[in-house]
Amino acid sequence: MELNEIYTVVNPTSWNAFIPLYIFLKGLSVGAFIVSALYTVFGFKSFRSLAWPSAVASVVFLALVPIMLFADLGQPGRFWHLLVPWYFNFTSPMSWGSWLLILYPIVLLRYTYLLYKARPAALPAPASASAKEMAATLAHGLTASGNTIKLTGLVVLPVAVATDVYTGFLLGVVKANALWNGALLPINFLVSAILSGAAAVVLMYLFGIGRAKQDKLDSNLLGLLGQMMLVLIAVEIFFVISQWLVLGMGGQQAGLVLKLLLSDPLYILGEVVAGLVIPLMILLSSRARSNPTWLTVGSVLVIAGSFLMRYTLIFIGLEASRLVG
Amino acid sequence: MAGEKKYGMVVDTRKCVGCVSCTVSCKMENKVPFDGFRAWLNIRERGTFPEVKRHFLPRLCNHCENAPCVQVCPVKATYKREDGVVIIDEKRCIGCGYCITACPYHARYLHPQTKVADKCSFCQHRIDQGLEPACVRNCMGKARVFGDLNDPATAVSKVLGANPTQTLLPEFGTNPKVYYISADLNVSAAKEGKVSGA
Repeated sequence: MELNEIYTVVNPTSWNAFIPLYIFLKGLSVGAFIVSALYTVFGFKSFRSLAWPSAVASVVFLALVPIMLFADLGQPGRFWHLLVPWYFNFTSPMSWGSWLLILYPIVLLRYTYLLYKARPAALPAPASASAKEMAATLAHGLTASGNTIKLTGLVVLPVAVATDVYTGFLLGVVKANALWNGALLPINFLVSAILSGAAAVVLMYLFGIGRAKQDKLDSNLLGLLGQMMLVLIAVEIFFVISQWLVLGMGGQQAGLVLKLLLSDPLYILGEVVAGLVIPLMILLSSRARSNPTWLTVGSVLVIAGSFLMRYTLIFIGLEASRLVG
Repeated sequence: MAGEKKYGMVVDTRKCVGCVSCTVSCKMENKVPFDGFRAWLNIRERGTFPEVKRHFLPRLCNHCENAPCVQVCPVKATYKREDGVVIIDEKRCIGCGYCITACPYHARYLHPQTKVADKCSFCQHRIDQGLEPACVRNCMGKARVFGDLNDPATAVSKVLGANPTQTLLPEFGTNPKVYYISADLNVSAAKEGKVSGA
């Protein structure tokens, strides 16, 4: 017997590329903050010189987030409805996220301001101070890390993590979507966020943003960042393989979703090969880990890959949801 | 809970002739835009020539008891009335599209003019006046039966009691309030065109 679908009406989705772009930028911000916290909260001295520039990077990435969110709303003028307490819906991860996106910038700005004040040259700079001198002061790191910064960082950390992972729950609770539905997505987002944030910080460092011109590249620091990225990439590859296995042996929709994934070049060649496998190969070499050129290539690929991870997840997911109902 | 209304619908697919008058009358009644549907008709053909038959599956919002859209709406713009009808407060909705994504039945779309989510409301403006939804009123085969599921005397309760029925995607625990007679839903589960050996 044959069965042919003649008409299957599916109402169009309203989500566009601003959604993955938002998750991507938010991930960069959270990732850069976590790199900053490596020194201020976790006390790894090697990362000291990155504490301040990473915090600034985190703020800059976060500043772009509202643009993406407004661009996505059908009625952007009503965004404040999300913050009316009696409109709050406890079962909606988007409700939680709205408040996290208010809280996170507040605590992050406070943290960054404390870092700014703690720098030795936070004293009023002479009016004649050249850009070079300013850049030099930026890179000198902290004089008094102090308990205040550590405590503030300890407050920011869970808020930053929650701000990143709530999107994982937002998609994870969509029950009719085999690609999204599950408990791994939040942690997958978090690992990818730290990875992309670290890669962004590596690029900033290599290109001298927030680093004094006279300061030489610290190959030890670059090696550490490279190792960190290596571990995170390995975890991301685990998530990819885990997803293939579970989808491949899952139900009917899951099997179809896996077919969609594996036949999409953006996913296979972009996210998996260019975004994870090639950077993994590069960073496996200890010489490449402290080589600026290879690190630049690896970091750019990692950042592009983490955007593609969110892009393909959203759009292949939307495609997948059309397979049921 | 006696005395409380709980609206629902039974769709008897044996009586559906595929005239699409539900879709058309809904579009007219509710000013549904060109590229969205509140009510629609899925069509499939079953069998191998010359033994072929067309099957019709009239669709609409299922007004789920555990509606995923109500669960995820970040501003409570989508809510369930006491009589079980799931509706949207168009003044409160921000058009984020989360409910559209979360609905397993694709019953929702973003209205291009109002820029908020839109879907079947069982024609709330009509049922509040004691009228039937437009799709029910205009169904020439009387395939759609609408009414109060809590009242055993209504036509919908009688049809529901006298026939084996199915709901769409029961595995998601949404508990739809739209029931289908003879819809052969398991066979249509694969959305890949030809299915052999089904």
